[in-house]
Amino acid sequence: MEEHPGNIEADIQETQIQVRFNTKLKPELRVVSTPFAVPSSLTRYGLSEVINALLGLEKPIPFDFLLDGELIRTSLEKLLLSKNLSAESILNIEYIPAVLPPTPKETQLHDDWVSAVDGSLDSHIFTGSYDTFARVWSPEGTCLRVLEGHRDVITSLTVIRPSALDGKSVSIITGSKDRTLRLWELSLEDLTERNASNPSKCFRGHTSSVQSVAASPSGNQICSGSWDSTIRLWSTTQDDVEPGAEEIAKKRKVAGSGVDPQHAETEVTARATFEGHTQCVSGVAWAAEDYIFSVSWDHSVRSWNAETGANTATLSCSKALHCLSIGGEGGSLVATGGADSVLRIWDPRLVGVVVPILQLSSHKGWITSCKWHPKSAYHLLSASHDGTVKLWDMRAKIPLHTLEAHKDKVLCADWWRDDSIVTGGADSKMTIVQNAKFSV
Amino acid sequence: MAKVTSTKRKQRNGVVATPAPRSDSEGEDVRDDLKLDEESEEESPLSSDAEEGSEDRSDVEEGSDDDNEDGDEDDISNAIRSLLRGNGAEKSDDSDADDSDYEVGSDSDGSGAELEESDDEEGGSDSEEDGAGPAEENGHAKESVEGSELDDKNVAAAPEGNENGNTKGVEESDSEDDGDLNPRNTVGDVPLEWYRDEKHIGYDRDGKKIIKKGRKDQLDAFLSRADDSKDWRKLYDEYNDEEIILTKDEVDMIRRLREGRTPHADVNPYEEYTDWFEWEDKGHPLSNAPEPKRRFIPSKWEAKKVVKLVRALRKGWISLEKPKEKPKYYMLWGDDLQTADKTANGLAYIPPPKTKLPGHDESYNPPEEYIPTQEEINSYQLMYEEDRPKFIPQKFDSLRKVPAYADFIKERFERCLDLYLCPRTRKKRINIDPESLVPKLPKPKDLQPFPTTFYLEYRGHTATVSSLSSSPSGEWLASGSYDGSVRLWEVQTGRCRKVWAMGSPVKHIAWNPNPQISILAIAVEQDVVLVNTGVGLEEEEANLVTLLSLVKKPKSDDEETPLGKWKHDEELKGLRLRHQHVVYSVAWHYKGDYFVTVAPDDILSSGLPPIALSVLVHQLSKQQSQNPFRKHHGRVVRVLFHPSRPFMFLATKIHVRVYNLAKQQLSKKLITSLHEISDMAIHPGGDNLIVGSKEAKLAWFDIDLSTKPYKTLRNHSMDIRGVAYHNTYPLFATCSDDSTAHVFHGMVYSDLLQNPLIVPVKVLRGHTKGIYSCEFHPKQPWLFTAGGDEVIRLYCN
Repeated sequence: MEEHPGNIEADIQETQIQVRFNTKLKPELRVVSTPFAVPSSLTRYGLSEVINALLGLEKPIPFDFLLDGELIRTSLEKLLLSKNLSAESILNIEYIPAVLPPTPKETQLHDDWVSAVDGSLDSHIFTGSYDTFARVWSPEGTCLRVLEGHRDVITSLTVIRPSALDGKSVSIITGSKDRTLRLWELSLEDLTERNASNPSKCFRGHTSSVQSVAASPSGNQICSGSWDSTIRLWSTTQDDVEPGAEEIAKKRKVAGSGVDPQHAETEVTARATFEGHTQCVSGVAWAAEDYIFSVSWDHSVRSWNAETGANTATLSCSKALHCLSIGGEGGSLVATGGADSVLRIWDPRLVGVVVPILQLSSHKGWITSCKWHPKSAYHLLSASHDGTVKLWDMRAKIPLHTLEAHKDKVLCADWWRDDSIVTGGADSKMTIVQNAKFSV
Repeated sequence: MAKVTSTKRKQRNGVVATPAPRSDSEGEDVRDDLKLDEESEEESPLSSDAEEGSEDRSDVEEGSDDDNEDGDEDDISNAIRSLLRGNGAEKSDDSDADDSDYEVGSDSDGSGAELEESDDEEGGSDSEEDGAGPAEENGHAKESVEGSELDDKNVAAAPEGNENGNTKGVEESDSEDDGDLNPRNTVGDVPLEWYRDEKHIGYDRDGKKIIKKGRKDQLDAFLSRADDSKDWRKLYDEYNDEEIILTKDEVDMIRRLREGRTPHADVNPYEEYTDWFEWEDKGHPLSNAPEPKRRFIPSKWEAKKVVKLVRALRKGWISLEKPKEKPKYYMLWGDDLQTADKTANGLAYIPPPKTKLPGHDESYNPPEEYIPTQEEINSYQLMYEEDRPKFIPQKFDSLRKVPAYADFIKERFERCLDLYLCPRTRKKRINIDPESLVPKLPKPKDLQPFPTTFYLEYRGHTATVSSLSSSPSGEWLASGSYDGSVRLWEVQTGRCRKVWAMGSPVKHIAWNPNPQISILAIAVEQDVVLVNTGVGLEEEEANLVTLLSLVKKPKSDDEETPLGKWKHDEELKGLRLRHQHVVYSVAWHYKGDYFVTVAPDDILSSGLPPIALSVLVHQLSKQQSQNPFRKHHGRVVRVLFHPSRPFMFLATKIHVRVYNLAKQQLSKKLITSLHEISDMAIHPGGDNLIVGSKEAKLAWFDIDLSTKPYKTLRNHSMDIRGVAYHNTYPLFATCSDDSTAHVFHGMVYSDLLQNPLIVPVKVLRGHTKGIYSCEFHPKQPWLFTAGGDEVIRLYCN
């Protein structure tokens, strides 16, 4: 990494390009803003060497470089050609610390496929599995608690309002193929002993498998998408079935007589049902307290007003969609993955635009999960059936890093502690990949 | 002298540029003038001038004679100018005086012989003028006008006596002008400065020099002005070097012009109009009579004429075409060109090719360069027989010495043989671009979506997967295999959710199309097993349990035994329906209550021939079976229900029969022209079906169109094993032993007049062994295929 200045000068026979480096980093990582002439064949690595040489750092820091808001991924020469820029003008290049490839740390073996994972809590990791159990994991990789209650595969799992938790107790919601959602309230202190835990609430109403679940920012509401092509809105604070609840609830009581009565779980019926999708609602997400996005196998991305239940917008894709995530700059971009290998990013704010603003294709199989980084506006991850998890920077068309996380399909992935990734896959493993450094 | 003046006058007229209009008072003159030729016509105004100014003329003549020497031009012109400006007061006095002088002068000066000679009138006019003169003398400008009027009257009166003489006189003066006594300058339009220093001013008509007259000096001019009261009327003509004295009349003319009147006083611009043309009721410009009727009705005579012509045309009396003229000379035997034309019209005769005409080398006396040397002739011997020249030119002294041609008979014979043995027939080639015969199909790219890419595989079976069936929701997929198991797969992840062990190879499975009854019908050996998949709606679960529990009373066992035995299967928690023969396929009715099984008797047990039992219809809710057919025409392969109406399609190895279940009769028999039907699928609309055969052919039937295939495609290289339609997308697929599946776009239009559009869009590869079954996802444009290589593959768009 440490380059001698003489070496740089030796390379100056070829085409030179004037670059001016700037950065928003702290002052000790800044270089002088005078333009430098660098060889046009330099790539990101070469530029990083130049910066390190200029800074004279003992321990080199890898940098990434931005030109007009796009990461430099080719040599400067090719970049100029592709952007039609003159080689004589001065390029203003911003440098940021590069995201380091995370290292796979540990894997925890489950009894069955891991279908859902949530890493929104720094202290614990929650997984849902095909063996109908949800599990609570400590950061060290020990299973602290098994949550029993569902009678079929858990398809989705989410922690309610992770930001507001005090670290003592936590509420999680699981959705399952047994057509129910369950709410679990756990006290984090006494999780050490490994014992089973029962759900405190059961949300009944879907007539087919629940495929997705999401909790509102306030934590008072959750919504779920199902194979019965509806989205249902539930209240978590609601204690019992209201007297004038929907008829579905009554039916449910008749039909669902097989539910074990010994559990002290209260049954909750849906507060509202949003109908509009024609096929399985495979992903739901809250954009705001009254604003829901959903994706479906019917190839559409829809947004809903949670208060009125009105379908406010519909974006149409050509493929069945499996997952979505809301984030990006201002938390207003929607990333979707579906029954092809392309990660699509939509901007619902653009009126009249029916195509995704960005299509990232590098996977070789269906995308099962995509998540925006909770703090960075540019980074997101995607998990795919091809067994890899890819780390993306929105400013570059090619992934930052590709993690061979699983031997089989990756079914779920989430960020954990801002710099790590937890994934679950069809090889019945949960993998934690750590130490991706972000400049957020 | 008179002649001179007349010419002068002409000149003057030119100078003043006042063409004298013909006065009406000279009616007689006009009439005379009309008789004259053009020249005289032109001069007729002059004649009037001559009349008017006749008395002046004499004066002028005399004046000019008198005043030849005197007069400063400038002064004269000044005087003239002042006159033209309007008669100044002081001048007018002068003019009066002048006039009087002039009158007097005219009297005093005796007119010359020429005068008398020229006109009789002049004398008369003189006398009249004399009478008028004194009246004018005292008058001012106004009075002078009156005077002129008087003059006019005099003039008007004058012609009566002198008409003939007058015109004649003018003519004479003209002719005398030509004769020319006074030398006239003929230099033309040249600058007069050229003659300034010469003694002459130019040349007369005979080429003689016209000598300059001595010009008066200032003193003379002054003296002459002082002496001569007429001096103000003098003008100097530089060109002819002479002085012109304007007559009183001319001065008068100038004055009138200045006042904006006609130059001649006798012209009356407001003469009374005499309307010579009179008629009876001249108050109306045109005839007021009503239009006669004949103007409006077609002419009878014309009609008669037309009828006559038409009749003549019809009867051929009039022929419009000209008879073709035969060429006078023509080729008696026709020429080659014509014979060739005839063959073009379809006649069989084709002229034989002509023999080549001899060239120089075949001459008896060819030029030297054609004759080969001895060396060349020798070299021919070294050549191959075929390459040797047939004819070697030879030189003879004369034609007489040319020997007979040895090969003549032979060559004639060979040619005849050629003509005889090579029949010249005309080959009719159809000039069609082969590209145009290929039907215009839309590009597959425009027909998306359709399955293109392999995404997921479902592994678990250990033997050939024989049959696939998808749940109506599209969440699950069931597969039956020869390893004796039926597996239930989660479509999205490829997870095997459930395995039912059947014990023996599974031939066929069918998922109940009713979403409320999630039951799978599995054909295993002689049984059809109905199992609860457990993935249906929750409220239906209990319903299914009762549906799958045996309800049959044992009392009607006598009719049961031949058709099928319903039993409860404890192990699978379902129903088992035993047939007499191996069940090959099972198909559900769209409502999910009835299903039909095909159990053709095995070849082994075909000794006992209840062949009629090969198709049985079962009712799930009542758990009853019935045999709708008394006999079958051939081995039944596949039976399907119409997707929405009470029809049943029954495919034997050769034919497809369509039965109306409501009327219980054969509705249609489709002639497939295939020999070994393997599978059949019905379009969700119900009016089209595809049939795949083991001879690798696919036949599409439009049932409303015809009983014969609408299209037959031979797309696979080996047996077609399965065919499938998509429920919602316009897609269908075939799978074959050649380990490929072909996807087609098969659009059926609601417009009955438009035939279905069939476009092959994709060949799906990936299997390593033959594909036994293909099944579309019920809601997505995805295709499941499974076969000999034990994996189920999912192809997505």
